[in-house]
Amino acid sequence: MKQIIILFTAIITVQLSFAQQDFKSYVATAKSSYAAGKLEDAHFALQQMLQEEEITIGKEVIKLLPTKMDSLQADIKQDNVTGNISFVGATIHRSYATLTKKADLDIINNSPLLGSLNALLTTPMLGGLMNDGKTKTVKVQGYKARLEKEDNGDGQMPSYKLEIPFNSSLITFRVEKTSESEILNFANTIPLQQIAKLIQ
Amino acid sequence: MVACSLLLHHDTQAQGFFKKLKDKANKVVDKAIDKKVEDKTGIPSQSGDSQSTGNGGPGSPSSKGRPANRTGEGLKNSTPPDVNAQIADAEKAHNEGSYSDARYSIQQALLGIEIQIGREILNSLPATVNGLAKDTSENRVVSTQWGWSNLTIQSVYKKGDDQQMTVSIGNNSFYSGLINVYFNNTYVQGNGEQQNVKQVKVKGYKALIQFDNSKGYTLLVPLGQTSLITYECINFATEQDVMNAASSFDIDGIKKMLGEQ
Repeated sequence: MKQIIILFTAIITVQLSFAQQDFKSYVATAKSSYAAGKLEDAHFALQQMLQEEEITIGKEVIKLLPTKMDSLQADIKQDNVTGNISFVGATIHRSYATLTKKADLDIINNSPLLGSLNALLTTPMLGGLMNDGKTKTVKVQGYKARLEKEDNGDGQMPSYKLEIPFNSSLITFRVEKTSESEILNFANTIPLQQIAKLIQ
Repeated sequence: MVACSLLLHHDTQAQGFFKKLKDKANKVVDKAIDKKVEDKTGIPSQSGDSQSTGNGGPGSPSSKGRPANRTGEGLKNSTPPDVNAQIADAEKAHNEGSYSDARYSIQQALLGIEIQIGREILNSLPATVNGLAKDTSENRVVSTQWGWSNLTIQSVYKKGDDQQMTVSIGNNSFYSGLINVYFNNTYVQGNGEQQNVKQVKVKGYKALIQFDNSKGYTLLVPLGQTSLITYECINFATEQDVMNAASSFDIDGIKKMLGEQ
């Protein structure tokens, strides 16, 4: 296990140093293109910088995530950070699992499309209208969140999905075969305040 | 027969009386409700006698309720972000590990560049088009700072109060994508009616022209991968007038400035 963690840390460090180089080269391109009046090239280089920055933020967020939640162990091989341009900044993914249970944590970073969920959470009437009896608003570490029960229809325990919006970012946490109190306990092990500081 | 007509007459009279009574009652009820609403909200009612309660027109301060705003010069135009300074800030924040701040500075630099690109394009547009003069007060550069589907440049050409052409140039990838879908699909003309959409070419670029009675002509010219020029022409006599107006723009130049291939 130790070896895996060392290997993982090494991979992240190597990736980060490559990213650093990329970032520096994009900065250089942006500066030189802008100085030469090539606005379009400068624009493109800046976009690359932005994408690189989103990925760096994603990797920093991954570092903050707990390696285990109660009995659930993080499956770090499935950690994933994808940088996007246009409507979504970056998507960050981590899975947790035991033999019988699985949890997925997804963070969408810097996307303007997430305003509608915020509206649902902050407008009681809207939230009430959209409520189908399977969702409710809860608080996790002081942050408003939307908890949704997903019945699997197989007579077993249901899945729960917890969505915590931060302005233009969204944390989605989904646990299979769980209870409301268990998913909230798991969610309380995520350092939301530190993550919010990075992704906002 | 006589009895019948008497009965009918009596009935009509009774109906008239009831109507009067109903109107009177409605008036009294309305007044009572208005009074209640006034007391609760502090806003004088606009109906009936309550209009003359000593309240001035809109904008006048009132002892009850909220005063309307009458003064204030508005916001001053902010200068576009200094691109070099923002890039330097981004680099510094990144090196210090303040990634969220670095991202903000990069977005500001992008905004600065987009506004410059927008202004260059605006300046390159012709001063008059088919007798319509450019109304520079309506020039607009809009940047949403989100990704590359964000920059919209708008210019308005006018002749008198009646004829107008609004030109919007932007990398609105969503809209542009939809048009490409249209181009790639089978073309259908509905039920033999006068068609309201058709494919045309403007200076060699594939385009779509639409006509709508209330909106006039709309010409859409996709450029390269994600950009699009939209001409909205109000009170243009013919399709050819629209095509002539659109052709007086340097589309190749605009495409180049937007960085499209």
